[in-house]
Amino acid sequence: MKIWEYLLKIDRRVIFLLVGLSVLIPLIFPFSIKTNVMPPTRKLFDTIEEINPDAQGILIAADYDPQTMPELQPMFIALLRHSFARGMPVLVMSSYIQGPGLAKQGLDQVTEEFNCKTTTNADSIIYGRDYVFLGFPPLWLAAVLRMGSDISQAFPADYFKNRTASLEMMKKIKNYNDIGIVVSIAGSALPQSWVTYANTRFGVKIGSGATAVTAPDFYPFLNTGQMSGMIAGLKGASEYEYLVNTKYNLSGPTPATRGMSSQSIAHLAILILVVIGNIGYFATRRQ
Amino acid sequence: MQRNIPLTIVLVIGIAMLIQFFVPHKISKDIYMNFLDWLGIIAAFALVLGLGSLINHHIDKIQRKREHWPFSWVTLIAIVTTAIIGLFGGMEGKGPLPVQPQFTLGNKLFVIKYSIQTIYDNIMTPLGATMFALLAFFMASAAYRAFRARTFEATLLLIAAFIVMIGVVPLGYYISPKLPYLAQWIMDVPNTASKRGILFGVGLGIAATSLKIMLGIERNWLGGK
Repeated sequence: MKIWEYLLKIDRRVIFLLVGLSVLIPLIFPFSIKTNVMPPTRKLFDTIEEINPDAQGILIAADYDPQTMPELQPMFIALLRHSFARGMPVLVMSSYIQGPGLAKQGLDQVTEEFNCKTTTNADSIIYGRDYVFLGFPPLWLAAVLRMGSDISQAFPADYFKNRTASLEMMKKIKNYNDIGIVVSIAGSALPQSWVTYANTRFGVKIGSGATAVTAPDFYPFLNTGQMSGMIAGLKGASEYEYLVNTKYNLSGPTPATRGMSSQSIAHLAILILVVIGNIGYFATRRQ
Repeated sequence: MQRNIPLTIVLVIGIAMLIQFFVPHKISKDIYMNFLDWLGIIAAFALVLGLGSLINHHIDKIQRKREHWPFSWVTLIAIVTTAIIGLFGGMEGKGPLPVQPQFTLGNKLFVIKYSIQTIYDNIMTPLGATMFALLAFFMASAAYRAFRARTFEATLLLIAAFIVMIGVVPLGYYISPKLPYLAQWIMDVPNTASKRGILFGVGLGIAATSLKIMLGIERNWLGGK
C-alpha cells in the first residue's frame, strides 16, 4: 500500500538527480544513434540546394541569445558549413542585441574550419568577398523593411564598422532579390515576423531554425509554403549536420548529433517519471 | 490640444500608411522610406528616455532602501561598467583603455581584453545558459506531478505528448520506425489546426485594436486620456 503513495510523492531532489544523470552520463559516454531525417529539415536543405550560388546568396539571422544557444548554435554552424560548402555569398545578422556575440563565435569557428584546409586564396573563405557580418540593427522592423530596397542603407556599417556598400560582396547583393532564402534561427516567434514583413511584402523565401518548444508555432506556415523548411530543436540540428556532412564530406564538431544520446535518455527518463506518477495515481484512487 | 494633436497625427499617418502599402509609385515609396528614418529617430529618443527612467528607478530604490535595494547597485554598476568598456574598448577591445592585463596558465598566455565580447563570452553566455538549463529539471518535476490522466481530455493530451516526446528523439525510431512519422503527423495536422485557429484570432484582434487606436476609441497609449 505504501509503495503506491511513495510513487506519488517522489522527492523532487530525486527527480533532479535522475534528470541530471540521464543528461550527464550519455554526454560522457555517448552511443551512436541512426539519424532519421524528417521532412521539414529535408525541405530546408533542398531549398538551399536549389539556390544558384552565382546569382543569389543566403541571409542567416542569428536571432537567439545564450539561453537557447545549446539548441540553436549547432543549427547556425551547420547552415554556415552548408552555405560555404556550396560557395554561396553569406550575410549574417542578428535581430537581438545578444545575438551578434554568438554569431561571431560561430563565424570564427566555421571560417577557421574551412580555411585550415585550403591552400589558395580562391579556395579560402574571406570576409567581404564570401561573407559579410551585418551585426545588430537597433530597429529591427525598419531594417527588415528597408532591406527590401537596399541592404546597405539598412546597415550603413557592418559589425566591424566597415562601410557596407564598399564591401566586394555587397556589390552584387543589393536587396531581397539577390537573396535566395532568409533563415531565422530563433527561440521566439521572430521567424513568424520574418514571414509577415519579408516574405509577404517582398516575396523572399523564409526558413527557420526553432527550439523544440517554439517549433509547433511554425507548422501552419510550413503547411502553406510561407516557410520553406524548418530545423526543429536539437534533433533537427542533428539531421541537418548529418545531411551537410554526408553530402559535402565535411568533418568538424557535431554538437547536436553528440547531444542526441543525452536527449533520448532524458526524454525517456521524463516519460518513465510520468508513467510512475500515473501508476501511483490510479492505484491510490482505487483504494 | 494635448489630446487632439496626437490623435489627429495617429489617424492621418495610420490611414496614409494603409493607402501607401497599395501604391507602388516612387513618391509613395520615398514617403515610406522617410517614415522608416523617422521611426529610427523616435526609437533613439525612446532609448534615452528608457535608460533615464531605469537609472532614476534604481537610484530612488537605493535612496529609500526598498526591498532588494542592494541589487539596484548591481544594475547601476553593470550599466556604467558596460557603457565604459563599450565606448572605450569597443566590440573587439581595440579602444584607448589602459594596458590589458595578461597572465599565463600552464604554457598558455591569456590576455583580458576590455571589450564587449569579453563581457559577453565570460558573463552573459554562461549566466544565460545556466538559467535556461535549470528549466529541464523543473519541467521534469512539473511533468511528474501534473501530467495525470484524470479526464478524457487529459488522457488524450498525455498520449499525444508521449508520442511526440519519444517520436522526436532518435530513440523513437528504434522502438518503431513509424513512430517519428506519427509524431510528425500530430505536429502537421492537429497541432496546425489549433495553431491556425489561434493565429486567425490573434490577427483579427490586432486589426481590431489597430483600428480602435487609429480612430481614437482606444486611448490607453495616451495615458488613458
